[in-house]
Amino acid sequence: MALNPMEQFTVRPLFAEPVLHIAGHPIYFTNQSLLMVIVALAASLFLTLAVKPGRLVPTRGQSMAELSYEFVANMIHSASGEDGLKFFPFVFTLFIFVLCSNFFGMVPGSFTITSQIAVTFSLALLVIALVIVTGFVKHGIGFLKLFVPHAPWYLLILLVPIEVISFLTRPISLSVRLFANMLAGHTMLAVFGGFVVSLGAAGGIFTGLAIAPMLLIIAIMLLELLVAFLQAYVFAILTCIYLNEALHLHDHH
Amino acid sequence: MADEAPHTATTEAPHEGGFPPFDTTTFPSQIFWLVVTFAFLFTVLWKVAGPRINGAITQRRRAINGAIAGANAARGEAEAAEAAYRTALAGARARASALAEENRQALNAEVARAKAEADEKAAAAMAKADADIAATREAAKAQVSVAARDTAIAIVAHLTGDQVSPEDAADAVKS
Repeated sequence: MALNPMEQFTVRPLFAEPVLHIAGHPIYFTNQSLLMVIVALAASLFLTLAVKPGRLVPTRGQSMAELSYEFVANMIHSASGEDGLKFFPFVFTLFIFVLCSNFFGMVPGSFTITSQIAVTFSLALLVIALVIVTGFVKHGIGFLKLFVPHAPWYLLILLVPIEVISFLTRPISLSVRLFANMLAGHTMLAVFGGFVVSLGAAGGIFTGLAIAPMLLIIAIMLLELLVAFLQAYVFAILTCIYLNEALHLHDHH
Repeated sequence: MADEAPHTATTEAPHEGGFPPFDTTTFPSQIFWLVVTFAFLFTVLWKVAGPRINGAITQRRRAINGAIAGANAARGEAEAAEAAYRTALAGARARASALAEENRQALNAEVARAKAEADEKAAAAMAKADADIAATREAAKAQVSVAARDTAIAIVAHLTGDQVSPEDAADAVKS
């Protein structure tokens, strides 16, 4: 079964019966749903219970929780400024959710939530929707100035469509970046895992050679741990940057 | 419930050979559970975990700042105490040297007075002694002329048998 490297991305129901129907679509509790529930519960419990206010010397767990909190707070502060901090709960949730999804996906035999374009695109749409709502609430119709850079009018004919297109492609780039990174890493691991199995099964000298892809898997695994963190960070920081534009338009200087 | 039953029961991939992430039949389930779990996590982090962590961080920051302020205050106190000690020490030293100076002067005056008194006494004693010596000398001198006169009378009387009057004898001795 493990020989098809794409097989690991299959979303399959854990129970035959759908949990409920929404507009005629059956909703199943799938392997992905299970991981999502695990991620949400684990992150909630850890970030709540590891921290005890009034504990002046933090435990290791509390240190991690505080570190992630301050990491996200600093990220928002540097990318979106002081008034970006009102989006802290959202960006923090986004970062923790993506980070935990990526890391839990690294556990062999589990499922990588973020390797599904449906999930990453939904998250990206959520971000862009928040950006648009924030922009119009803060600036009214003036938010559309976001698409008008400071340039002579004859250049604007060219620049405005480009700005509009670049804005519209943001949910795509944001979601595909995360999706493709996770997909590629896990595919690569599965491919090299397949090599180990087939070489091991081949017998003779090939069994010994199976050590080569095995070592490679370890190296890729380490790289994937880095990618797991990095993609969560990129997703969160891009959210902050987009929110910053909605809050402050183009007013650099 | 128009189930097209794409998933009905099995553990099999719905479209063999397809690319699983693009299998749109799974999208409703994916998005539904994403909304549920994300909303749950958001609520917990927003209402419970976030304030808790923030509380822990600010509490620690406050405790550290309080401790630093306390240490600064204690240092200020210690410095003030040291300054007070130094001024007290300097004052005491000044007082002590003033006292010593005073004592010295009093002693000097006493010594000078005693010395003057002793000098005076010695001078008086010396003058008296000089006077005594002079008187004795005068007495001795008188004694000598009387003795010489008597001797002269005695000699004259012995040699000549004449009785010389003391006045004559005295004149003779004197001449």
